[in-house]
Amino acid sequence: MKRNKFIVIGSGRLGSNIATSMSELGEDVIIIDAVDDSFRKLQESFSGYQVVGDATDLTILENSYIKQAKTVVITTDSDNVNIYLAHICFYVYNVPKIFVRLSDTDKGKLLEGTMIKAIYPFNLSYSEFMDLNDEEAAE
Amino acid sequence: MKIVITGGKHEADYIVSKLKKEHHQLIIINQDIDFAEYISANNDIGVFPGDPTKAYVLSDAEAHNADVLLALSDSDTDNYITCITAKKLFNIKRTVAKVKNPKNVELFKRLGVDSVISSTYLLAQTILNESSVENIIKTLSIEDEKIVMIEIGVEPEHNIVNKRLMDIKFPSNINISCIFRDPHVIIPKGDTLIKADDKLIIVTTPNDQEEIVEFVQKRK
Repeated sequence: MKRNKFIVIGSGRLGSNIATSMSELGEDVIIIDAVDDSFRKLQESFSGYQVVGDATDLTILENSYIKQAKTVVITTDSDNVNIYLAHICFYVYNVPKIFVRLSDTDKGKLLEGTMIKAIYPFNLSYSEFMDLNDEEAAE
Repeated sequence: MKIVITGGKHEADYIVSKLKKEHHQLIIINQDIDFAEYISANNDIGVFPGDPTKAYVLSDAEAHNADVLLALSDSDTDNYITCITAKKLFNIKRTVAKVKNPKNVELFKRLGVDSVISSTYLLAQTILNESSVENIIKTLSIEDEKIVMIEIGVEPEHNIVNKRLMDIKFPSNINISCIFRDPHVIIPKGDTLIKADDKLIIVTTPNDQEEIVEFVQKRK
């Protein structure tokens, strides 16, 4: 089984933009969201597949080629759902690269012992503030 | 034992009241403030208001090293996160999750939850067990309920299989009037051997009926 799919779960602002960019770069992208309406954030240039459904249902995941995923990016708006999905992708489907967005930095402890990479908007915003503040001070 | 109970409504209330009688150390966490107060008042016990999927809530409730954690909320995902947090970060030995989706029973176990309970799954099991009752096809009442005639299917794992009637210690008030052994009908004698898939036609009294069904269906 060839692993060549790039799967995005959660078609919010971040998920849809990642999906669009990876699609432009020529990746075979599949984006999953529980709400049909969410896909309007995808750009014109998106040429992948859209799947409407609850990704915590294994049937939906398997119909979205999870077994052929080389990368999964998980950006739903619930940390608990994101971690649960990341665990399923890692332990059940052995997806080689998994990225998960988490609002609560404490939740990262549940990813220890896995290869799952967490993205924390809080940390990014905080360090951006510090950098901008340093620039102000230097001027 | 030290037992942590998170989420849930009436099931949490019921389990708390049962376990309290057994003198366990109970730690109860419930996100629903009104319900937390209700359980607290009903069982005369402290309840921590909070979200058990957050580590600091389990920490404040001093859930560390508990023997068992039961996650009873209505969200399967939240129950999963609670159990995994309990195991990974709080060294809780056994975790039990309630799930709404019966498909999650196998999945949660695979991901490290010790026990997974789904009422639908249990219901299906119960129905499968109940369907063995179908082997008792007919109950025929004769003479104003003074005697009944019942038909019971014999299964390979029943205790009475391959025994002679004379060697079986049947309860009193029983008469095996005939045995259907497809395509034959046998009028049994003392040395008749009971075989798997026989159908026994038994005449007994209404009062002894239950005891007899239980006796015939006793497994090896």
